[in-house]
Amino acid sequence: MRGLWFLLPLALAGLFWWGMQRDPRELPSVLAKERRPAPDFALPLLPPYREAWGETFRLGEYLGKKPIVLNFWASWCFPACYEEAPILEAAWRRHRERVLFLGVNVQDREPEALRFIDQFGLTFPNVFDPRGRVGVDYGMYGVPETFFIDQEGRVLARHAGAVDQATLERYLKEMLP
Amino acid sequence: MRFLLLFLTLGLAAWAQEGPPPDLSPEVFRIARELRCPVCQGESTAESNAGVAVEMRRLIAEMLEEGKTREEIKAFFVERYGEWILYEPPRRGLTLWVWVLPVVGIFLLGLGLFAHFRPHKPLPQELLEEAERRLKEPPS
Repeated sequence: MRGLWFLLPLALAGLFWWGMQRDPRELPSVLAKERRPAPDFALPLLPPYREAWGETFRLGEYLGKKPIVLNFWASWCFPACYEEAPILEAAWRRHRERVLFLGVNVQDREPEALRFIDQFGLTFPNVFDPRGRVGVDYGMYGVPETFFIDQEGRVLARHAGAVDQATLERYLKEMLP
Repeated sequence: MRFLLLFLTLGLAAWAQEGPPPDLSPEVFRIARELRCPVCQGESTAESNAGVAVEMRRLIAEMLEEGKTREEIKAFFVERYGEWILYEPPRRGLTLWVWVLPVVGIFLLGLGLFAHFRPHKPLPQELLEEAERRLKEPPS
């Protein structure tokens, strides 16, 4: 029994080492982990997109038809949102026939959101959610965050932070049949 | 003069207390205190002024109005964010250890202290006599 005492510090050391291997910033998405159906929402479109897409955008109309890239952003989110905006726009132009890109502007003011859209010439539809309620439904932590929804309307992955071109292409390849 | 000073002090105190009246019930904040703010480090949803936290408080208020219970509201957020959102780790699975280990630690500490301070058995008589004898012997 006495000889077993050395096991206690060993166990503590093991616990400590295991703790050191964990990334405290890693926040798994419940939706993506369980591949849950993407929560539906209807939000007003920002003025530049009303002509092509109507007054309100209902995600449910597009779920299960095409893969969807759902990007949460805000004009005050500098520099991350500014880094990824041109990448998203370029990818949308390349894949617009097969994938739907949708921007959700959260906790922002409309004039500033419009300036951002103008600055990057965003042509994919963008909706306005000043309260950020849809973000809570998706279990969003902070902007920018991108959700990849597959053809069946299930959340495939969530990318927190600015998405770079290589990562975006990898997710798109995974989403496209 | 003294009167004016008193007046000024009281006036200032009242002015400092001003500010937006709390538009949400204390129950909202009681629940929010048990939830983590998703975007801040180490702040609860009750304390934070981040947009998400403000929206979460509004959601809690709405759900309370709908007659949802505290557990149902917490489950709503766990459903979306996972158990990470709860300030108090659930007493099962891996996080059960958070509750069990302090008790185990205190028990082990008690055991150690007891072992250290317990009255030791006196030495056998013959050993004591031997020691006495050797002490008296002149060193050779």
